[in-house]
Amino acid sequence: MIIFRLCSIISLVNRMRYYAKALGRVFGVFFSLGRKARRTKFFFLLSFLPVAVALVIKFNQVFSESHSLDGLYLFTNIIMLFYLQLIILILALFYGTSVCSEEVEGKTLPYLLTRPIPKSAVVLGKYAAYTVIVIGMISLGMVFSFAVLNISRLLDSSSYLTLLRYWGVLTLGIIAYTAFFTFFGSFLRRSIFFGLLFSFGWENVIQYFPGSTQRFAIIHYLKSFLPSSSSGRFSFLTFRLEPTPPGLALLALFLVTAGFLGLACLLFSLKDYVLDD
Amino acid sequence: MSAVIETNRLSKWYGNVLGLSDVTLQIEPGIIGLLGPNGAGKSTFLKLLTGQIKPSIGQVSFSGQKVRNNYALFSRIGFCPEQDSFYEEMTGWEFLTSLLKLQQFPEDEVRARADRALETVELTGDKKRLIRAYSRGMRQRLKFAQAIAHDPDILILDEPLSGMDPLGKRKLIRLIKDFKEGKTIIVSSHVLPEIEALTRNIILIHQGKIFAKGDIHYIRDLIESHPHMVSVKCADPRRLAAQVIPENYVLKVHFGPDPRTLLVETNNRDRFFGLLQSLLLKNRIEVEEITSPDDNLQAVFDYLVGK
Repeated sequence: MIIFRLCSIISLVNRMRYYAKALGRVFGVFFSLGRKARRTKFFFLLSFLPVAVALVIKFNQVFSESHSLDGLYLFTNIIMLFYLQLIILILALFYGTSVCSEEVEGKTLPYLLTRPIPKSAVVLGKYAAYTVIVIGMISLGMVFSFAVLNISRLLDSSSYLTLLRYWGVLTLGIIAYTAFFTFFGSFLRRSIFFGLLFSFGWENVIQYFPGSTQRFAIIHYLKSFLPSSSSGRFSFLTFRLEPTPPGLALLALFLVTAGFLGLACLLFSLKDYVLDD
Repeated sequence: MSAVIETNRLSKWYGNVLGLSDVTLQIEPGIIGLLGPNGAGKSTFLKLLTGQIKPSIGQVSFSGQKVRNNYALFSRIGFCPEQDSFYEEMTGWEFLTSLLKLQQFPEDEVRARADRALETVELTGDKKRLIRAYSRGMRQRLKFAQAIAHDPDILILDEPLSGMDPLGKRKLIRLIKDFKEGKTIIVSSHVLPEIEALTRNIILIHQGKIFAKGDIHYIRDLIESHPHMVSVKCADPRRLAAQVIPENYVLKVHFGPDPRTLLVETNNRDRFFGLLQSLLLKNRIEVEEITSPDDNLQAVFDYLVGK
């Protein structure tokens, strides 16, 4: 009995090692491919749009000699306006949906389905590769925006806590949204269209609904990590109602990520994808 | 010889459309040609064999092991898809090494195998070029390279010769033949001479059903008995018609919608063409065009199934 259990544990460990190795290989291949892809260059430029805005603001401040607005305040508003509500949604949408759909539309799926790797490892490996690429793009843009707007306080360590906090929120957002859109791409043919409807319809509207309805939007949980009463003219973008406690918000984001990735893996493993001629 | 691939009552429907119906087969090592007109179910059959789609009914097994979701088995299978599709932003070298990495080989072996496969298909000199800059022939050879790079026991090639020039076809046919030692190779095509150049063992597939399996000579005999239509467009089709009618291998003669076109149905194409040549020369009839409108596999299949 003990020997039988030992054998099954060893077999399970071996299978897990094989799975981890397969996952690593898929990640490596698609991280390398995704990094060099033309769309990455385009989205890299898009992720630097807030940096351009920050530069314009800074030049304006320098030449008009007006310093009425604090750099950190401007930085947090740029994050809210550009990154949280626009850029991470677009990037997660295009990269997330492409995890499955680019293989079907590009008709490259047979190359992956006839390799000795579990189908779920294909989905998870590609998801991880694209998520890391998007996090990298966003992080660079964010750091540059921060540096431009806070050039005078780069030696002030307390401002880095704000940077770290917002970076954490955006990273969590990318992880959750990309997982959600990976699921979208695994079963919808026009996943970009429906993804846009979700991003700029559902997410942007539901978060302002009264009561607990706003908890049906992913962005609600992301905003729960941010200061709930930010001053200034963009404060309406953060909260109308009470935020979810950070621990619960983290749990909700984890469940969204794990749930949708699990569904995407299941669909990808079970569904027959028909490649159009 | 024992069967490597076995299918049992294999069937596939796409909604209400029949893809494959009740296929029970045993395939032994060697090259086997899967021959059928476009839309016959060849690709569906090959996708079912490689576990890319799940059967509606029935099962596929390789050496007794089921295929679908048995990913460990895929280290023994090489598949060359029909579609001319690649990760276009990769070079030929990156494409091959990436797919070999997914076969779980160590890094140095990945490089060695990629080099060997590229050398086999004569693409070593172009390995650093982007795939999107490759010609059709090079792309076909690269597809073949990714299928053989991990040295599989079972090689499944879906229309590997389609779109290639004659020289390219000859090269690829040689490569497939060189690879066959001790392997099981299935090659699909809708062009009989392509299959004939590769093997004598063929499976005829039509409308999702296996129509015949066996030696190519048997199929050839069937095809030879198929009446061929020959269309001759010339200045004086009536005079020509009067002279071909008496021959016993001319089954039917009629005129096309264009009054200058004569349509002749014959069960001996070689003798008919000999006669036609002599009559045209003797009577000095000027010919605009000679075509065989039903000289394709679909017509042969339609004849064989009694349409």
